[in-house]
Amino acid sequence: MKKFTLLLVVTCLALLGMSALADMSTVQIATDTATLGRGADSMMTNCRSCHSLKYVRYRDLTSIGIPKPKIDEWRGSESVDNPMLAVLADKDALQSFGIVPPDLSLITKARDGGMNYLYAYLLGYHNTSNGSVDNLIYPGTKMPDALGISSATTAAQLVDIHGKARDVTSFLAWAADPHAKERIRMGYYVLAYLVLLTSLLYLVKRMVWARLSTSDDHLTSWKK
Amino acid sequence: MSGRIINWIDRRFPFTSFIRDELTGYPTPRNLSYWWNFGFLAGFVLVLQVATGIFLAMHYKADVAHAFDSIQHIMRDVNYGWLLRYMHATGASAFFFVIFIHMARTLYYGSYRAPRELLWWTGQGLLLMLMATAFMGYLLPWGQMSFWGATVITNLFRATPVFGEQVVIWLRGDYSVGDATLNRFYALHYLFPFLIIGAVVIHLVALHAVKSSNPSGIDLKAKDNIPFHPYFTSKDLFGLGVFLIFFCVVVFFVPDSLSEPANSIPANPLQTPNHIVPEWYFLPFYAILRSVPNMVGGVVAMGLSVMMFAFMPALDRSSIPGGARYRPIYRVLFYLFVIDMVVLGYVGYQPPAGTIVVIGQLATIGYFAYFVLIFGLSKVEERWLVKRGLPPDVQALINAEALAKSSRA
Ligand code: HEC
Repeated sequence: MKKFTLLLVVTCLALLGMSALADMSTVQIATDTATLGRGADSMMTNCRSCHSLKYVRYRDLTSIGIPKPKIDEWRGSESVDNPMLAVLADKDALQSFGIVPPDLSLITKARDGGMNYLYAYLLGYHNTSNGSVDNLIYPGTKMPDALGISSATTAAQLVDIHGKARDVTSFLAWAADPHAKERIRMGYYVLAYLVLLTSLLYLVKRMVWARLSTSDDHLTSWKK
Repeated sequence: MSGRIINWIDRRFPFTSFIRDELTGYPTPRNLSYWWNFGFLAGFVLVLQVATGIFLAMHYKADVAHAFDSIQHIMRDVNYGWLLRYMHATGASAFFFVIFIHMARTLYYGSYRAPRELLWWTGQGLLLMLMATAFMGYLLPWGQMSFWGATVITNLFRATPVFGEQVVIWLRGDYSVGDATLNRFYALHYLFPFLIIGAVVIHLVALHAVKSSNPSGIDLKAKDNIPFHPYFTSKDLFGLGVFLIFFCVVVFFVPDSLSEPANSIPANPLQTPNHIVPEWYFLPFYAILRSVPNMVGGVVAMGLSVMMFAFMPALDRSSIPGGARYRPIYRVLFYLFVIDMVVLGYVGYQPPAGTIVVIGQLATIGYFAYFVLIFGLSKVEERWLVKRGLPPDVQALINAEALAKSSRA
């Protein structure tokens, strides 16, 4: 059965490898207050005109340290308990784009490649030879170049836009999985506890089994 | 005082004797390896699924207009709802992982052989119920993959002779997968685990009648059996600790690694995802379904592929003990079968085009060939091994077993 164990391990590793998409620019997101604050700001100014974030309420933004006055400014006359809806009505969006821009609450989970997809998509706009703008990741997308990377000319602008894309991606990653930080922190404690417990259980097992005399144990010859 | 209460009970109900004979004192072969842990682990995961499931049910809404939202409510607003849901979703995968190893162990060591056929068949029944439960549970989040997976699979029942159309409508409760389907799947997803618990009891009754198999493949003499407690309680608990470490790594660090991105998009009957795939544990069987060009043939092949295991006691005609251990041909076949399963799983995940189709068809043939070859070769192998001369310890095992049998008769 040793070979079987090996097979199991190899299969699990192969599965993990399969799930990691290689050919997309990878983004290192951050979870600090400053990044999430800038990301939220960018979402409000660059994206919310078209996109909703319906599973996030204005109140939830306090949990990532956005100051209350800022939230009040964004929500206008909306209640803090309201979901963050798009400015553009679906009907109007349909008229302008022929499609309703998707809700972004789960967007970093809802595409192959996840966060990397989002990041690459936002930065994928470029000028085509016939003078129009297209996207490398999603050719023919109906969304305009929201961050303006296709019209950036200076190096400083490019750096700025890459930073914006990373901030928005970080913010939307939080929006899709708001408890991720807490989950991972808890995970370390849980694992530390389990490793300790399992080591103790192993010792208990050893002690209990030591009571069996092995001298007359012809059965051990069957064990490899 | 407590002694008197227990005496009172024991005169009316076999309380002490049950615990002594079936739990603490249950005679267990002392040579069981860690591969014998997985039955206990399956029982643990079952309890975990029921426990987390009941709490999820307190917040879930089985209504096409609210199902997706209610999952987001659980993930975001319910206290530790994310933990419950990630444990439940990961638990489903863990259940299949543990059961597949449990089955592989049975196949490897030939634990399905007489007198354990009924034990094996109740296990086969449990596998079917587990598959049904997982399949129905996957519809509940009402994502794109939930919806289209259920649509594709219920559609297969169109292959039923004469009443195909009616059977599909009867299953869905509607012409297409919709509110009626979601509601009935939810009701059944809640019911089935309790049926499974009942079936597990039957599985255990069968086990305790014939006792555990062991790596030697023969029934051991009484002195080689040891009481379940404390030996196997301590061993199983250590195994559980190891299992929980792996389980918690997934739950806390990569809980989304097993879920399809499309299931984070609400179900949309008007938009087919470009690539419909089932959960990983169904992939090999899904690959077999797609490998047969004809729909009815594919459905039959898939059904048969799940049920083939039940025939093992009849297909394997060898009387050499210890399963693959002392049987080189059978051992090779076992490993080829495992590799074939992995290949089928890979094929099931890929879009069916080009060489993938051919590989899938070859692997499907390989899958069934395994069972046919066991039937054909098990006697040949036995004769060859006997003629060549069995290793002395194996011969001793066979003699010991024959002796035990004749003295019992
Ligand atoms: C002018 C309106 C508008 C603005 C502003 C806008 N989007 Fe979009 N977005 C759209 C439309 C329309 C689509 C649908 C595109 C399609 O499917 O062709 C879309 C689609 C998307 C998608 C999904 C792409 C896919 O794979 O289906 C993402 C992700 C996205 N937008 C992110 C953003 C982010 C982040 C911002 C802010 C930086 C933003 N959008 C700003 C209109 C907009």
